[in-house]
Amino acid sequence: MAEYDLTKRIMPYLDRHLSFPLLVHLSETTLFALEDVQLAQYELAKGTNMPDYAANLFSQIYPDKEVPTEFEEKRQNTLLTHQRLQDEAQAVLDVIENPDVAQALRQDKEQNLQYLKDNYNLTLDQITALYHFGQFQYSYGNYSGAADYLYHFRVLSTDNDLNTSAQWGKLASDILSGKWDAALQELDTLRESIDSRSLPGPALNQLHSRTWLLHWSLFVYFNHPAGRTLLLETFLSPVYLNTIQTSCPWVLRYLAAAAILSRAIPPGATPRVRNALREIIKVIQMEEYQYQDPITAFLKELYVEFDFEAAQRELGRAEQVLGDDFFLGEFSADFLDNARYLISEAYCRTHQKIDIRDLSERLNLSPDEGEKWIVNLIRESRMGADAKIDLDKNVIEIFRPAVPVYQTVIDKTRGLHLRTSGLGTAISRMGMGPAQGAAPSGEAAAVAVR
Amino acid sequence: MSRFFRNAGDSDSSDSSDGEEELMSSGDEAPPSRPAPAPATKTAMDRFLVTAGDSSDSDSSDSESSDGSDGEGLDDDEPQQVVRIMSAQERRLVEMEATGKVMENALKINDWVAISNEFDKLVRMIQRQHNVSEPIPPFYVRTLISLESSVNNALAKEKDAKKKTNATNAKALTAMKQKIKKSVKEYETDVNKYNNDPEAFEREYAALVVREAPVGVAGAAPRVAAAGADGEAADTFTTVGKGGKAMQFSADGILKNLQAVQEARGKKNTDRAEQIRILERLLEVALTSYQRIRVLLALVSSRFDYNSSVATHMPIELWLSAQREVDQLVAIVATHPVYSIQEITEDYDELKERSPEDPEEKGGIVRIRGSIISFVDRLDDEFTKSLQNIDPHGTEYVDRLKDEKVLYCTICRAQAFYENTNQDEPLGRVIMRRLEHIYSKPDAVVQALEAAVDASEIKPAMRLAVQGTTSALIHALCVYLYKSGNSLLRTRAMLSHIYHHALHNDFHTARDMLLMSHLQESIHSADVATQILYNRTVVQLGLCAFRCGLIKEAQATLLDIFTTQRVKELLAQGVHTQRFQVLTPEQEKAEKQRQLPFHMHINTELLEAAFLVSSMLVEIPLLASIDSDELKRKAISKPFRRLLDFADRQVFTGPPESTRDHIMQASKALQDGEWEQCRDLVQSIKIWSLMPEAAAVKEMLGKRIQEQGLRTYLFTYAPHYSTLSLSLLSRTFSLPLRAVTSLVSKMIWNEELSASLDQSGGVVVFHRIELSRAQQLAQTIADKVGAMLEQNEKALDIKMGGTGGWGDRADGNKGEKRGEQTQERRGRGERTRGTRGGARGRGARFSQGLGNEMSSRAG
Repeated sequence: MAEYDLTKRIMPYLDRHLSFPLLVHLSETTLFALEDVQLAQYELAKGTNMPDYAANLFSQIYPDKEVPTEFEEKRQNTLLTHQRLQDEAQAVLDVIENPDVAQALRQDKEQNLQYLKDNYNLTLDQITALYHFGQFQYSYGNYSGAADYLYHFRVLSTDNDLNTSAQWGKLASDILSGKWDAALQELDTLRESIDSRSLPGPALNQLHSRTWLLHWSLFVYFNHPAGRTLLLETFLSPVYLNTIQTSCPWVLRYLAAAAILSRAIPPGATPRVRNALREIIKVIQMEEYQYQDPITAFLKELYVEFDFEAAQRELGRAEQVLGDDFFLGEFSADFLDNARYLISEAYCRTHQKIDIRDLSERLNLSPDEGEKWIVNLIRESRMGADAKIDLDKNVIEIFRPAVPVYQTVIDKTRGLHLRTSGLGTAISRMGMGPAQGAAPSGEAAAVAVR
Repeated sequence: MSRFFRNAGDSDSSDSSDGEEELMSSGDEAPPSRPAPAPATKTAMDRFLVTAGDSSDSDSSDSESSDGSDGEGLDDDEPQQVVRIMSAQERRLVEMEATGKVMENALKINDWVAISNEFDKLVRMIQRQHNVSEPIPPFYVRTLISLESSVNNALAKEKDAKKKTNATNAKALTAMKQKIKKSVKEYETDVNKYNNDPEAFEREYAALVVREAPVGVAGAAPRVAAAGADGEAADTFTTVGKGGKAMQFSADGILKNLQAVQEARGKKNTDRAEQIRILERLLEVALTSYQRIRVLLALVSSRFDYNSSVATHMPIELWLSAQREVDQLVAIVATHPVYSIQEITEDYDELKERSPEDPEEKGGIVRIRGSIISFVDRLDDEFTKSLQNIDPHGTEYVDRLKDEKVLYCTICRAQAFYENTNQDEPLGRVIMRRLEHIYSKPDAVVQALEAAVDASEIKPAMRLAVQGTTSALIHALCVYLYKSGNSLLRTRAMLSHIYHHALHNDFHTARDMLLMSHLQESIHSADVATQILYNRTVVQLGLCAFRCGLIKEAQATLLDIFTTQRVKELLAQGVHTQRFQVLTPEQEKAEKQRQLPFHMHINTELLEAAFLVSSMLVEIPLLASIDSDELKRKAISKPFRRLLDFADRQVFTGPPESTRDHIMQASKALQDGEWEQCRDLVQSIKIWSLMPEAAAVKEMLGKRIQEQGLRTYLFTYAPHYSTLSLSLLSRTFSLPLRAVTSLVSKMIWNEELSASLDQSGGVVVFHRIELSRAQQLAQTIADKVGAMLEQNEKALDIKMGGTGGWGDRADGNKGEKRGEQTQERRGRGERTRGTRGGARGRGARFSQGLGNEMSSRAG
């Protein structure tokens, strides 16, 4: 199953610190040799300002070797730097935390700066110290502290590049300290700034930023309670879907999993979320040549090939993969449940008479369990009225009356009114145009049909 | 000093002795270290030997150099003449006299047509004389006067004996009269003077000629600027038109001769062949690299000049020598980095020998004006031109194709040279040239070409041996071009790269690259050649999809070009004959120039077969699924539908002959559920053999036909069954039961078929609802209203200026969402371009550059 592990693909798009949880998770699974993972962790830790952690890892890997002295030196250095940066930052913080100042600060950043400079002799350089201190704190693992400083910095600073960097830093800090609500908020603002940014640089930069955002957001979306729906919403928007297709097709796994997980569509979902599965299947088909794993294969077998046996086989493999996945591990059971539901739904829609034993087999369940499951399914789902269980023959019979013609006509014409009035307002705003003649006629026709 | 005062009367002997003198004197003058004299004397000797019997050599070259057309007359008139070394002026005089003689002869037999022709010639010669500001020879005046009188006589005679002369002669006579009148008027003073005292006039002329001789020399043998005071000037004077003597010159002389040749370049009466010969000799004696470079530059360009505008392409031998010389040039420049050839340099003295040690040269580098890249371009263009004009079915074509190897080597050498000198701009161009030679070729051919490159001593950094595979090589070349700033090259590289991927059956990569490049949006504004390349690429992509078994994609991709019905023209593989519009010669010529050489053609018959078969597989099940006539009019593939309708109308169908016949009959068989017959018909099409891995493709087609046959069968016969056994279906269509179940399930799920499966019985149960007429109509009208609204929205979108969409401007949330949705719709269209969704309305998007260009030019 190691070939389906995505850690190697995801890590290049993560921050050093964000990679630690992934590696820790890997060391808990049996996919890779423990030594290898530990070595990777050590290599990663060496580059941070966490000498203690690195030294600890070192002694784990080489229990019989002396811990190199460089860690001690580094530790001293770190402490010194910390002291220095803290002094610098404290000066600013003192000013800001003064209630008078907090009162006086306004929306306009320029004005704020002027105010601080005039009254408290605070310069831009000093404010930048906040950023440096925040960054430093992050680098030695004090994430919540880092988040604080970066927040203050962002409120005050006008430097665009540093602000963006601070935004990423804040997001990482929130993720690592487990503040999912804050992280979600941060994610949204970051996304906005990426999407709206009209950088002078090539479009490639934007693509890179989006790719990073996609990977970082996995942390948030799979931990926040409402995350899956939001994930669908974000990932399925055209720009991000394009990003996935161009630069990181493996994210499709999470997209597919999220779609399956949110099968029971939460109320108030947008059409995008509602049609998520259909859309995702299309993408999976298109990207099949460059990315495939049991989860995407499951969807493909189920909805493209309608090969229930193959789907069942893939589901079995997907379960394993899911169990080993850092993000999806917790949702394994949930996923299985929903996937079964999807199978039986598809099965019921294409079949008239279903052997219960057969269906249970399809769902990887024992006949008894299967029967229970099916009864529940029928009770819960909309087809309750149409499906009957015939225990004598041990089959379910499904009668699906054909959709009446008037219903299809109504469905087809439902949106017309809204769209036509939209056209009308657009035209009236334009205040002219030959299109005017055409639009009302469309409206009239719509009315006539109804 | 007699040799300065040479005129028509100069004897041969004195002249050749002159030559001898020169030979000796220049031998003395030459620096002792020079190795040249040995061969020089030898050739000189040859020349003397030849003179004894064979005069034609020097003689004909003489006449050619002045005017090729009347060389023969000269030979006829003076057969006794042996080598005569004449100044240009003398030669002209001799010619004039020759024409005069012809005229006299013609006059005797009263042939005015001939006289008129000859007179025209004479007038031209005089005009030339005039141009070099020489005096009017008395001969001309004399001829004028005599002609005038004879014309008058003839006219008078004609009046007497009407109808005796034929019409053309009479016409020529009257024309002559006009011309004579005009000429006499022009030279009125001269004529009067001559009439008064012919002898005085002639004397005056002789004096003038004598006085002007040195000046005339300078004029004839192009002015040798400051240098040519006495001896040197005479030297050049004798040499032009006699390449052999060029040997006698020192290095200094080479540059002078070179300049002489260069000045004569492009003039009307210069003999190009002679110039090439001179330059070749010059190259032999050139000593320093500087001289060699200069001579080579001139030589290659004069080789390219050789072609008259009438000839279609360069003679092949000439091309080959040009190619060798470009190689030589590149080799010299590559081994001597102190010489640099640039298109723009500071002015320098053409006549001075320059060397890198010279303090005047900046940075110790001698900069010479010239351009290797343009030579390479030209070589390549000429190669293509010759291929365009050689009959592709003859052996000559194949022989010519073999030259591609050397050309490719030359291009690679140039690339290596530019790589070493870090000249980005020409490097990009030369890499593009290289790419164009290999992108559409199968691996084996590329390997052969590359093997030749590896054998040469100057190699570019990017080679097959280095890169491993052809794809890697092409990738490396393309990546270089992507990084270069030139957007045209980038576009072309992109298209070539996509083409290459498609050729290697890498459909997904090719498709993604094409979509990501967004070329389809901007290709209309590109130049015609690029548009052709785009069309080729798209077509190749379609073929690739077909080979990979992606029938729908293949159909959608190829549909566009087939709806235009101008496949050949769009691929630049044949000139389109327009029914209502006649092309002007220029348009026709431009069109011809764009044509691809035969070996690069994509076989259109194969293309059509692929398109029609994929259309069949898409269209036939669709046709079967539609039950109302109303909907039947909607066709995915119009060209296919047209053919099918036509085939349906046929009262009697014989055994299939053409590819189309095969496919049409196969379609009918498919409609009837006879998938085996359909498969056999499709597989028996002969043209498949042109497709690589034909067997696999046929097998794939067989499978597709089975599947689509099943679908068609279900659509067609569903109304007649209430249940159908799956195992029966599986037996009828020789498909595994699982595949049948999967296919049927898919149809049910997609609501194409109103049915459901009964697992216990292993049957399909059909639920069919008959719609009443009113219900049907209601559905149709609902569809139409929907479509109309869509159209309205689109129309408004365009009116509001497209990009943002009018929905964006609406206030509030709803508006925003709408905008996003439209954007999404658009985005999705983009992504699914390869599939059916985006296919509609894209016909217009196919690049029809040729047509556009034509109409704009016609307008």
